[in-house]
Amino acid sequence: MKAEGTMIKTEELQINIGPQHPSTHGVFRMLVTVDGETIVDLKPVFGYLHRNHEQIAEVNTYLQNMPYTDRLDYFNSMANNQAYAMAVEKLAEIEVPERAEYIRVIMVELTRILNHASALGFLINDMGAWQTPLAFGMREREKILDLFESTSGARLMCNYFRFGGVVRDLPPDFVPRLQSLLTGLPTFIDEFERMLRENEILRIRSEGIGVLPKEVAISYSVTGPVLRGSGIPYDIRKAEPYSIYDRFDFDVPIGTVGDVYDRFLVRIEEMRQSKRILEQALKQLPDAEGGHINPKARQNIRPPVGDAYTRIESPKGELGFYLVSDGGQTPYRYKVRAPSFINLTPLSDMCRGYKVADVVVILGSIDIVMGEVDR
Amino acid sequence: MNIPIERGKVVTVARGQSTSVAGFSLSKGLGVVFRHWRRAWFEKQHQNVPATASESAPNAGNDKSKPTAFVTLEDMSKSYGTFTVEYPEQRIKLPEAYRNMPVLLYDDETGHELCTSCFQCQRICPPQVIHMTQAKDPASGKPVPSVAEFIIEYDACMSCGFCAEVCPFDAIKMDHEFELSTHDHPSLTVYKRDLNRPVSYYESIAPGFWAEARERAYKKLATNMKRRPGAIGIAPHLTEKITAAQAQAAQAAAAQAPAAKAPAKKAAAPRAADTAAAPTDKEAKLAAIRARNAAQKGGSAPAAGTAADAPLPTDKEAKLAAIRARNAAKKGGSTPAAETSAEESPPTDDKAARLAAIRARNAAKKGDATPSEESDQPAAETPPANDKAARLAAIRARNAAQKATEAAEQAADSATSTPEAPASSSEEGKPLDEKAARLAEIRARNAARKKGDQE
Ligand code: SF4
Ligand code: SF4
Repeated sequence: MKAEGTMIKTEELQINIGPQHPSTHGVFRMLVTVDGETIVDLKPVFGYLHRNHEQIAEVNTYLQNMPYTDRLDYFNSMANNQAYAMAVEKLAEIEVPERAEYIRVIMVELTRILNHASALGFLINDMGAWQTPLAFGMREREKILDLFESTSGARLMCNYFRFGGVVRDLPPDFVPRLQSLLTGLPTFIDEFERMLRENEILRIRSEGIGVLPKEVAISYSVTGPVLRGSGIPYDIRKAEPYSIYDRFDFDVPIGTVGDVYDRFLVRIEEMRQSKRILEQALKQLPDAEGGHINPKARQNIRPPVGDAYTRIESPKGELGFYLVSDGGQTPYRYKVRAPSFINLTPLSDMCRGYKVADVVVILGSIDIVMGEVDR
Repeated sequence: MNIPIERGKVVTVARGQSTSVAGFSLSKGLGVVFRHWRRAWFEKQHQNVPATASESAPNAGNDKSKPTAFVTLEDMSKSYGTFTVEYPEQRIKLPEAYRNMPVLLYDDETGHELCTSCFQCQRICPPQVIHMTQAKDPASGKPVPSVAEFIIEYDACMSCGFCAEVCPFDAIKMDHEFELSTHDHPSLTVYKRDLNRPVSYYESIAPGFWAEARERAYKKLATNMKRRPGAIGIAPHLTEKITAAQAQAAQAAAAQAPAAKAPAKKAAAPRAADTAAAPTDKEAKLAAIRARNAAQKGGSAPAAGTAADAPLPTDKEAKLAAIRARNAAKKGGSTPAAETSAEESPPTDDKAARLAAIRARNAAKKGDATPSEESDQPAAETPPANDKAARLAAIRARNAAQKATEAAEQAADSATSTPEAPASSSEEGKPLDEKAARLAEIRARNAARKKGDQE
């Protein structure tokens, strides 16, 4: 090395991370151009999990698609169910009874908690805190999955929603069990938050890393906790209240910097807000007389000619279903606006200039599920 | 920042300062872990569940010999933290709503299947894995509200539960059995024989759900039973029981010698068929599956299906031998064309029979060598018994071959397998058997000798 302060001659190198790599959260490849340890460019490559979801949906009847939506974002099958059910209900103009709406909200908010608990567990896992914090997150998730199982019959592939309601009513012990779960939740959330806040290793790995400026976030039409982490208070439950979300008090947390740390904090706060919604929903839950499904709603429907787009605030962002009906039994066009897919697109902007080790953390902070990205 | 919005506000999350002095966070983190560890250690309710309880699980899977203890959700909610349920000795009790794969129900008393083959489930199944044929009245050829064959491809079923939801007769329900993994992929195409479960079984796994459905299900079943002539609609393995009883009586009168040891096993065989979930006789089941597969390859699926399911109220080894013999015969034919010729022209048939006899004899010998199978046969090693067994096996092999032929012929016109087919064919085949058996025996002996010479 010369002492005159001239730069060492370096060469750029292209490396592959993935498609089969434990930290890529699925089958996902990143083509990274590095200069030493620093990232010069990054190209996300996806499509490895493509399984023709939308085309299959166009030969299935409307009801037959319901279990397929479970398999989009397999962490949040309840949220996927809701978005799809809402789209069909809008298309065919089906009313949903009160109680069914409350059950739906309860399920989707539970989904949000379990999604964030496991996503943050995986995020800390990616930062190198191997397994133990993840196990804490998974423990909470398991409790919620037990509730799902006793209600819908399955832990992940719930297939619980039907047009005009839900498939069956809550089991008798559901409400007390949910209440005891909610009682224990704040302890878990606080502890989980402290684990990052008070640990300088995790703070160094997350503060100022993967910054996504407001303008960039908007131009990529990023949604969900990633967008809110960048400081934009946009939540579809507030911006365009669907279902019965206008009946609940809850706050929208936002970040200031837009780094990994902010996204973490936003998700922690969202779990608290979900708990608030759940408590209100349990209080307001109408008794079983209201019925869990609209008895007039047919499941084997032929909606009138037309199209409908509905969107919900899924735990990962704006999840939308666009359906076109030609009056037949099957959708003429079926399109999913998947939040994971769109949130993943600014990955190269978020990674440029950081170190290779940060890529894994940044990717973890976006919280993607490849089932939804590739469809 | 606090911006009020409708029913809430926008809050900025506080980033805060790190409160830790360098190096302390490690001990803090360890403190968290320790706290969890301590609570998990002392609040361990599920540990009170003994690892081996006397109560046997209805979904205990393949190994029924080991008793299973349940960890209930209540135990779990009293416990703290992550812990290990010592599967398979301990299990988590499954909720009633749990669904895995669909099964068909039949009434315990009458043996009648609830399914009427209305095709609703077939139509709604998203991956289209349900296939069925409707039963026909053999006299008039008119369709009967009963199902002749019902197939579900378990390997492609997505456990959505739509079939159970849509069934107007409550005939198809979601099972709790989840230990289905196997190396034998074709066995995941499950036929009616293995799908049938008694209503009492479903009641034991989902009492609440069945209480709701019970009345309407039985009402509809009563109506449908009136429209089912003869034995149509009775679960095949129960038809078998009746046939077995008849055959046993006939055999006992005719020949006492070979049947000496058979009755003890006869009683066991239908029971094994009774609970299809418990393959007590794995080998036989496997052989049956193989026979079916081979037959499918051959091109005459339903016929061979019946043949494979054909009741052989005999000792297991012979059954196995017969199945193998049939397999071999099929494989010898290999192409459908060759198979038909084998059925029609005596020379090829003879060859197949000879082959079958050899196999049967071999199998019988093998059977004698295995102590587990033949432990209750004291004369296992003496030559006469050996001969006898071989003769018996040869007879049975021949029988089975005949049955297969007949079933194939029947299937050719109806394309469905009626439950009585095996019964009638076995009775008609009786007089022929004596001669054929002797012939087969001679051939088997000759073949064995020849084989011995070659070796
Ligand atoms: S199982 Fe039920 S829905 Fe399916 S064919 Fe039989 S009666 Fe019809
Ligand atoms: S559970 Fe669903 S996929 Fe499986 S057989 Fe029934 S309808 Fe078909």
